[in-house]
Amino acid sequence: MIYPRIITIIAYRDLQRFWKYKWWLAGLVAMNLADLFIFALIFRGIVRRDIVPDYFYFLAPGIASISAFAAAFTIGREVMMELRRAFHHYLLSLPFSRLELVAGRVVSGIVRGFIYQIPFIILLIVIAKTPSFLDLLIVVSTTIMVTASMSSLSIAISTLVKSLEFQATIRSLVYFIIFFMSNVFYPESIVRLRFPEIIYIMVVNNPISIATTIYRDIFTPHVIHETYSIEVLIAKLAIWTAILVATGSILYMRNLQR
Amino acid sequence: MSNVAVKIINLVKKFGNVTAVNNLNLDIYEGEIFGLLGPNGSGKTTTLLIITTVYKPTSGDVEIYGYSVTRHGDIVRRLVGIAFQEPKALWVDNPYELLLWHAMVVGYSVIGARRVIRDIMEELDLWEHRGKFISELSGGTRKKVEIAKLFIQKPKIAIFDEPTAQLDVTTKHRVWDKIKALRDEGSTIIVATNDMLEAERLADRIAIIHKGTLKALGTPSELKDRIPGGDIIELRVDNRIPDGIVKSLIEAIEARKLDYSDGVIRAYVNRGEEKIAIAIDILSRNNIKVRSVSLKEPTLDDVFFYFTGARLEEGRIQ
Repeated sequence: MIYPRIITIIAYRDLQRFWKYKWWLAGLVAMNLADLFIFALIFRGIVRRDIVPDYFYFLAPGIASISAFAAAFTIGREVMMELRRAFHHYLLSLPFSRLELVAGRVVSGIVRGFIYQIPFIILLIVIAKTPSFLDLLIVVSTTIMVTASMSSLSIAISTLVKSLEFQATIRSLVYFIIFFMSNVFYPESIVRLRFPEIIYIMVVNNPISIATTIYRDIFTPHVIHETYSIEVLIAKLAIWTAILVATGSILYMRNLQR
Repeated sequence: MSNVAVKIINLVKKFGNVTAVNNLNLDIYEGEIFGLLGPNGSGKTTTLLIITTVYKPTSGDVEIYGYSVTRHGDIVRRLVGIAFQEPKALWVDNPYELLLWHAMVVGYSVIGARRVIRDIMEELDLWEHRGKFISELSGGTRKKVEIAKLFIQKPKIAIFDEPTAQLDVTTKHRVWDKIKALRDEGSTIIVATNDMLEAERLADRIAIIHKGTLKALGTPSELKDRIPGGDIIELRVDNRIPDGIVKSLIEAIEARKLDYSDGVIRAYVNRGEEKIAIAIDILSRNNIKVRSVSLKEPTLDDVFFYFTGARLEEGRIQ
């Protein structure tokens, strides 16, 4: 039996801790905004307009996607710290099920992602367009799926690798692979042109790329040259989410208890 | 006999090649304060972590009111609570937030949680520290935060792992009183300790654990009585005692050994408190004047030494 009250309480604790780093968080948001306004505006005049009509509008949805991913990914750091200080013994002894514990952690990852992403979504609404109600539902669903899958991935890494130093390295490596092997900075057509097919396949199937294309479809559709089906993208993201949440949950539950 | 609250059945826990708990069998009865006595590394904490479903047993099982820790973990966690040996908090936590969250997890409403936390924090002199980071608190204050969790939770089985380590004497006594009060309110208490005084003051029954195995089990006085000649009766007498009277004294009080020199009799007996009267009676009947009487009981450290061959301090070093 899963009790929503318990999941909410578990997520509340994670968020309370997340909020203690609010100035660090504000710094990250400011840094991403600076990336967008400096980097994107400079590249806007350099990138060929027949490939990317407007680099600023091309990058903005990608930054929204990255922001949700980055915030959700921080839950793995918390889990790592808990393991280091054996705080997980306390969590495992408390009157809730393992499933409620992992669900609480994933929900916390989702909410973290939303908190961090909101400024960028507002920015997209201001600079691009106000989405319809249906589009807004798609945006929300996409963010839920991206953050749930990425927080699960982050939790899985933190519980899978025993050495803390190695764990931090693996987390950074995975973070950068997901970050750079996406369509956030480069159009998929360019990736296909310049890199081996396998890289292209990885880029188009990266959950961050899928989310970015969905956000672009809703806020800045004029910057996409590739053909795609929004339904297929949502289905692909849902499959990714199911796989990563299931894997993360199983590994978290299995590896916490000795 | 009371109901069995915790039943430990052939419990084994191995970490790689190291056997932390080796075929442990124990029954802990409802409403008692049960002491687990042993040095660091004896398997106490591992056993407690299995009872609380944090660790899985390698083999064997533990039943809490009939619910298995391996098969009914969700139910067991609703019955058991633990205050850990090392306070469980991260440096960014503060005591108030930590205890508020704990109270909400164990079922309090936010308003109810705030009220009970304030009461407990004030009783343990924690209220003034409520907003500080855990990293700013002394070891003793952190320990109080940890044990406060159980006084808030009031679980059916309350487990304290070295509850008064790092606490000053006054606070120790206050915590012992609160643990007894928790028992009086209906909890069964398990206290793991390597503090002899704590075990004697608190525990109704004690299990001595050494290198993962159960060495002895009983009430503190039963355990002391199991040491052959563990009590020493010392009698100062005026007159010289004839050998025949010494012999009858040895037989009457069932002394394992009796030393007599310079008007002092030292008799090594069991249940010394019962034997004193017998000894005085024999001497009086033989017109031997007894000037003073004292009884020295063995300490739990002596008991531990008797059953394990090691002093607690030695065990700790191992």
